[in-house]
Amino acid sequence: MRKRNSQLTIAAVTLLLGLLVVVQLRSQSIGTGLEALSAQDLTVLVANLNTRNDQLRAEIATTERELADLQGAHSRGESSVDQLRLDLARVRAWTGLDAVTGTGIRVSVDGMIAGAGVQDLLNELHNAGAEALVVADVRVVPGTVVAGPAGGLSVENTALPNGFEVTAIGNPATLTGSLTRAGGIVAQLAATYPEVQITVVPVDVVEIPATSRDLLPAHGTPKL
Amino acid sequence: MSMATRVRSIAGWQITLGVALLALGFLIAAQLRSEAPRVSYASNERVPLVETAQGLQTQQDALKQRLLDLRAEIEGAESQGKGSAAAVQALDDRLRQARVEAGLTALEGPGVVLQLRDSTNTVPPGDNPTDYLVSARDIRTVVEELWLAGAEAVAVNGERVTSATAIIDIGGSVLLNAAYLSPPYQLSAIGPSDLFDQVNGSASFRDFIRTRIEAFGLQVGFAEPKDVLIPAYAGTINLRYARPVTPAPSEGP
Repeated sequence: MRKRNSQLTIAAVTLLLGLLVVVQLRSQSIGTGLEALSAQDLTVLVANLNTRNDQLRAEIATTERELADLQGAHSRGESSVDQLRLDLARVRAWTGLDAVTGTGIRVSVDGMIAGAGVQDLLNELHNAGAEALVVADVRVVPGTVVAGPAGGLSVENTALPNGFEVTAIGNPATLTGSLTRAGGIVAQLAATYPEVQITVVPVDVVEIPATSRDLLPAHGTPKL
Repeated sequence: MSMATRVRSIAGWQITLGVALLALGFLIAAQLRSEAPRVSYASNERVPLVETAQGLQTQQDALKQRLLDLRAEIEGAESQGKGSAAAVQALDDRLRQARVEAGLTALEGPGVVLQLRDSTNTVPPGDNPTDYLVSARDIRTVVEELWLAGAEAVAVNGERVTSATAIIDIGGSVLLNAAYLSPPYQLSAIGPSDLFDQVNGSASFRDFIRTRIEAFGLQVGFAEPKDVLIPAYAGTINLRYARPVTPAPSEGP
């Protein structure tokens, strides 16, 4: 009887211990920065997290379908060429390895602007959901940086004149709205570079070239 | 009763219980301590928002892991087709390569890790306190410097910088690939052996050190570990508006 009681006590204590460990770990995993955010920032964060999670769910659904198709093809002894070809086209288009076309906007930048200003504009376009970007005729991919002081811009070792265009593929209304809203990037750039003229025009069809940059790593090795 | 007999008479369960109770005590204390700072805003409107954000962040971590697992499964399933047909094999190789180029595969190699931390300086009256925090612009500047110095892969706090990455401010923290990151920020990069020297020697990086690090007391640290691991991008690559100009590539070389 005494043994039974002791076992029950140990069970109860370890259960409580387990619960506390979980609660403690959860409370420690919370980002320290969240507590410091204002209600407004938290609302923006929640909206962003919701959007990204929805995108991830959609991507997971697509990937699950692809996997099922692939496994189905294998089990039927069929070739998976079509599936592979689609997947390859999608990855290459997203990365910038192939030219793409679609609706979007054209942003004309006229005047002396510094590289950081152009990078801020590209960042805002990405944030607004641009799917492909080109500065003059240079596709923006990892490693592409518009650098230099106002009047001395260059991108991928090519000089950029004081008047150039940035073209983006994406939802024209969303992209335009995001750039030109009050306090948005166009307004911010106008404040920093008062002599620079920036105009945003929605376009039905734009074409964006492939990158000429070699994106294969020369120093790192893929870790599968 | 001798000491030895007394020790022997303590049953195993008593020792277990003793240890468990001790651990319990520590945990209760730790839990109470970690709860303490949250009491300060327990009554305001942010509590449900903080909880929602935490819940969504946890969901996001699980979704990212699921996507990475699925992508690994797909790669596995695709390579099973190997040897079945030359066409499948050629496409599979091209796809594998495209995924590496896209940042959908983790990369390991020589490189640098830079750490950016908020200033611990007291903000003088009249100064803007946000100038003393690491901003999205600061992180972008350092990422740009790394690219210009020849980096071939960059990640911030484990989030891969891709063709579509935006880095924006949210309060005193940032969103990168719409993932919430808080300071300190670790920027990892793989690149040539002189990556660190190239960054350090760049005039624009020295400008950044002068205008942000020295002027406001932001903290920067460098490390050159033997191997830097840049995780795969765990996000959507779905295109809704853009479509390839050329038809899907053929399986031929």
